[in-house]
Amino acid sequence: MIDITFIQPDGSQKTVAAKAGHTIMETAQAHGIDGVIAECGGSMACATCHVFLDDIALTAAGPASDSEDDMLEFAATPRADNSRLSCQVTVTDALNGAQITIPETQF
Amino acid sequence: MNAPFDGAASGCPMAAASADFQPFEHRGMYEFLAKIREEVPIFHAPEIDYWVVTRRADIEAIMPDSDRFTAVLTTQPIFPWPQETLTYLQERKFAHEAIQVACDPPLHTRVKNHVTKFLNIRQFMSYEPAIRELARSYVQKLKGQETVDLVDAVTYEYPAQVVFMLLGVNDFDPRQIKKWGDLRLHMIWGRPEETDFEQAARDLADFWDYTVDLVAPRKADPKDDYPSKMFELRGGDDEVLTENEIRSLVFGLLLAGHETTTNAAGNLILELLKRREQWRAIAQDPALAKNAVEEGLRYATSVVAWRRRAKEPVTIGGVDLPAGANLLLSLASANRDPALFEEPETFDIARKDARNHMAFGKGLHHCVGAPLARLELRILLEELTAAFPEMRLAEGAEDTDFTKTLSFRGPAQLRVHLGPYKEQDA
Repeated sequence: MIDITFIQPDGSQKTVAAKAGHTIMETAQAHGIDGVIAECGGSMACATCHVFLDDIALTAAGPASDSEDDMLEFAATPRADNSRLSCQVTVTDALNGAQITIPETQF
Repeated sequence: MNAPFDGAASGCPMAAASADFQPFEHRGMYEFLAKIREEVPIFHAPEIDYWVVTRRADIEAIMPDSDRFTAVLTTQPIFPWPQETLTYLQERKFAHEAIQVACDPPLHTRVKNHVTKFLNIRQFMSYEPAIRELARSYVQKLKGQETVDLVDAVTYEYPAQVVFMLLGVNDFDPRQIKKWGDLRLHMIWGRPEETDFEQAARDLADFWDYTVDLVAPRKADPKDDYPSKMFELRGGDDEVLTENEIRSLVFGLLLAGHETTTNAAGNLILELLKRREQWRAIAQDPALAKNAVEEGLRYATSVVAWRRRAKEPVTIGGVDLPAGANLLLSLASANRDPALFEEPETFDIARKDARNHMAFGKGLHHCVGAPLARLELRILLEELTAAFPEMRLAEGAEDTDFTKTLSFRGPAQLRVHLGPYKEQDA
């Protein structure tokens, strides 16, 4: 069981059971989490699946690729040190208990 | 390529769809798709020799899959141009390269990584005040008129003017760009007559020359615009971007940056004015405009079909196709597939999942200008509904002609009665 909690900009939370091997984006979409739009479907072409990771998730996720890092610069809500594109983070057991915060806007 | 079997005599729905489909006719297209989608996930269109894919799930799987499907044909003419046209273009040094929408990785990846340094959400957001000012200038020109063709008066030029902002151009006639753009669509996605080619080749070469002349000075004298940014990223290194690639990118923007948005704006306004209560609702609550734009893109996308070619034998909708098979992915059909959308044939600006449409494609080729198109459409809608809350279609306007191309759909005219002008708060 890998529990991940999504936190909306208004503070509301929902904890879901994630599957290893899915991305965080796929997990959010499978559970009807608002605010992870991922319009391109996970090809790093749109920057609309931007999320903020907590320390558990950041450690588990490892570093972003250069392409992802570039795309994060253009996200509608300005990036922070803990920003990632959720389509590029794969769920593993190490993500159990992680909290993912959805940004104010994806555009 | 032959159809796998001849089912016309047996009343086979797939064969009937092949016989009934009119690739260049937009009137009646949605009714046709709604009728066949459930029984016919794919059928052959003999007039163009493409296999038309109708279901959302199939299209969503094919579009991002550059391993099995190539995008190289997406901007090739449906009907090949005569040799004399090609020779003429060569003599005129027409050197446009397909490096964006009509290419595959790794070329696509290299180019896209540079393009998105300028064509991106944050850069587009910085243009919002200028785009709103532009939209308001069109509204001011409408003021005092009773009946106008909104395409001619507003939606034809407006997106081209935005493209000029990105290119740092302020001294060129938007109508000329539109004329050149219309011509490219006709020559590639339409069914040109033999007599069209001579003039078309001259105009196309002129269009390229204009692009070359626009780009050249940015190399030595960079400004705050798209070609200048590309020269900065290039840093004199052909491995990053060649100079001709920069010219090709600008040539691409000079078409892709406005044609589809002009059509999307026309489609959106037409559908809203067919249901005036939804137009009035936006006038009363401009916050509804954002989702109305999405529903317009879903219900009446300006890109109704997009192309791919199988790189290997594939099976789609139960039909085995060989490598080299041409596919026409019906985005219009995907956007109204009941497998995804409830009551897909209903236009509803409050629809919760309207944004799940495929008007901008899916995957690595997802439209890089999507945020800009959204911005332009939302601002235009906000300004028009606020200024003319009682706007209505003129008599007969619902039966407008549509552009006659395989992929692009938009009203040729949109005659409306503006109604009383409502003064805006400063």
